[in-house]
Amino acid sequence: MKKEYLTFTPDIKNLKENQEVKLTVKDLTPGPRKYDARIVKAILSSDSKRLPEGDVLHVRSWTGMRYPQTWAIKILKELEETEAGTPHGETINAQK
Amino acid sequence: MASKDLRQFIKDLDKTGDIVHIKQSVDWDLEVGAIGRHAYETEGPAVLFEKIKDYPDGFRIFGGLTGTFRRVAIALGLDPEIPVKELYKEYERRINNPIKPVIVDTGPCKENIIVGDDVDLYSLPVPYIHEGDGGRYIGTWAFEVTKDPDTKWSNWGMYRFMIHNKRHIVGWPRYSSHFSMMLHGKYVAQKKAMPMALVIGADPLCDLVATAPIAINADEADYAGGLALEPVELVKCETSDLLVPANAEIVIEGEVYPDRTAEEGPFGEYPGYRMEGSKNGVLCRIKAITHRNSPIFTMISLGIPPDDSSIAASMTAALAMKRRLIRHEIPITEVYVPPYGVTHIAVIGVKPGAGGNAIAKQIRDVLTSRRADCNKFIVVDSDVDPFDFNQVIHAFATKCHPMRGIFVEEIEAPRGNALTPAYNAEERRAYRGAIALFDCTWPPELNVINEVPVKNSFDMMFPEELKKKVLANWKAFGFKENK
Repeated sequence: MKKEYLTFTPDIKNLKENQEVKLTVKDLTPGPRKYDARIVKAILSSDSKRLPEGDVLHVRSWTGMRYPQTWAIKILKELEETEAGTPHGETINAQK
Repeated sequence: MASKDLRQFIKDLDKTGDIVHIKQSVDWDLEVGAIGRHAYETEGPAVLFEKIKDYPDGFRIFGGLTGTFRRVAIALGLDPEIPVKELYKEYERRINNPIKPVIVDTGPCKENIIVGDDVDLYSLPVPYIHEGDGGRYIGTWAFEVTKDPDTKWSNWGMYRFMIHNKRHIVGWPRYSSHFSMMLHGKYVAQKKAMPMALVIGADPLCDLVATAPIAINADEADYAGGLALEPVELVKCETSDLLVPANAEIVIEGEVYPDRTAEEGPFGEYPGYRMEGSKNGVLCRIKAITHRNSPIFTMISLGIPPDDSSIAASMTAALAMKRRLIRHEIPITEVYVPPYGVTHIAVIGVKPGAGGNAIAKQIRDVLTSRRADCNKFIVVDSDVDPFDFNQVIHAFATKCHPMRGIFVEEIEAPRGNALTPAYNAEERRAYRGAIALFDCTWPPELNVINEVPVKNSFDMMFPEELKKKVLANWKAFGFKENK
């Protein structure tokens, strides 16, 4: 049974296929821990046939709209629970 | 008498029929959010969900606490039928008379204490509210407590936070908020973690005051006491010296990292739209959870009006604006923030003869000097009731000159409201925006006798004696009683 994950992206064109990428995914396994976030290193494909060992990745836009097509994801490694960075970093950069 | 805690408030709502208890099992994953949202949109009662899928009996979720003016009145211990204008007045009277809190040794929120590695945020029935949200929002109708390390100012504010994983929550207090001002000014700059407590299910007046734009360096706890007409009881956290309401259902204690982050959002927000999420949320590591037995988790299924935000928070925003204008000695009568304006529009009445562009601009400038959460201001003369939107629209349509009565200006970062749907993503990210002022007053230079148009109303167009006679005979003529 394939696991299902969810990720958010400002633009689906930003999702790189067939190479190692770092991204945040939400675990959609039913139960009280559903939507748990992980930061992972993974390989993605927009076509599950090209990544048959991959799990299912649902993709939503930065405003939460769902892209109709699911992707495939093969998680290579779970990274640290959180990332280095400054709170409100995007806003601080945008104001420079 | 105001409700002393959330459980008393539920009993008070039971007495007036302003709550439904849902006893069948509901799913925390969207179902609770959908029921709560539909209840708001049908102007229904508050909802207590008594059995939550995946969670032990006794763990409950409560939504829509103060989502109608009736329920705000009940929280204040007033007649639920009180007119909105009177409700505003009573709130204003109380908030202008703050009462200092008292510190107690313990309280109901300490009935269960979980610290360190035993902390698991998934032990709480935190709902996934709207389809497409970035996660399960633990902080929606709840408030965060933080403290200025130098001045000891204790800030309460209502800011959204979601679960990241079992030991972390990540949120989005606006960059222009008091929370963020304290975080960046006093902690991030020194690379220190900021202690924070998330208070869930305190009494409804504590929540109400946490939505209010109270002045910098003023403790919201004092104003919550003012609203309740008695001191709020505060108790110290387990892992910091922060003080939280002792009667709270749940307290989440943690520390905000100055140099770590996580993705946050998106989330369906108070203007009634969901906008983009953030790559750099405000990340808090949880050190302890304390809660009452059979805790009640409070939430808001935010969206288009009416809901707790557009009703209760609009009122607290309006009266904060009024206080500010009076402090600046601007000759105003009332400020009204209509629920459907979701704090993006405010109506300000000026005293007789005080109209004109100059006063209108002063009002705009005072209300947007630090931040412009509200971006449209309608200024009306004293013959217009700001609470009556029919009158306001009439004044806007007839008295606001399309050129000389409308003033639009851009505002620079960080004064803009990053949750304004009309702005584009770049403006929101940078907290830029614009303000529009609609002056619907007569210019003071007009001569009242021969230049100011005369209002064609029953009140203005007939002799006093005749009006009295008409009113005295009104029923006898066959009309219904006057409103």
